[in-house]
Amino acid sequence: MPERTVAVASRTGLHARPAKLFVQEAARLGVPVQIRVDGRRPVPATSMLGVLSLGAVQGTMVTLSAEGDGAAEALDALAALLSRDLDE
Amino acid sequence: MLDVLDRRAVLLHERAADREEAIRRCGRVLVETGAVAEPYIQAMLERERSISTYVGEGVAIPHGVSREHVLRDAICVVRFPEGLDWDGERVTVCVGIAARGDGHVALLAQLAEILLDPERARALREATDVDTVIKELT
Repeated sequence: MPERTVAVASRTGLHARPAKLFVQEAARLGVPVQIRVDGRRPVPATSMLGVLSLGAVQGTMVTLSAEGDGAAEALDALAALLSRDLDE
Repeated sequence: MLDVLDRRAVLLHERAADREEAIRRCGRVLVETGAVAEPYIQAMLERERSISTYVGEGVAIPHGVSREHVLRDAICVVRFPEGLDWDGERVTVCVGIAARGDGHVALLAQLAEILLDPERARALREATDVDTVIKELT
């Protein structure tokens, strides 16, 4: 399954505002993407509560995975989003 | 989460005309329990205007972005049994958050874990006594 692992760049971590922007983008892309942190079960990238439950702070490595049509493009787009400081 | 939740910061039978009034109510509780200084309420309103703090399961998490007016890490739980329109979503519970540094991320993760469990989420939404809320958030 295609995967991308990136460090969360947002200063405040993947919480309220950055998390919401991420979830909105995942929903817009329309490809089922999962996100996880080491040692924990993956959650859907479109679930605000799921993403919040990861507890990712700035620098936390998160892994995105997806299958099927458009998976690689969706993963690239979401990985690029996480690599930016979304608090700006 | 218990150490940041003061019993006096749990209000279960509140009413508010709209989202702004609800946020002011949450901010007021944080001021009254010594967690934040007055200007934090304005910061909460500004943050909400930039992007909704609705997280799902009828819960919103109003908070300010600036740490400047935060005196100690704290949350408040304010329940609006009649429900509120929250930018198109229906909210019955506000968990107001005041945090310095990264403390709020771990806190939000714990809250999200609870809300991902439908039984616990319902218990929190329908709680009518302070002990139930404290139990659910522990």
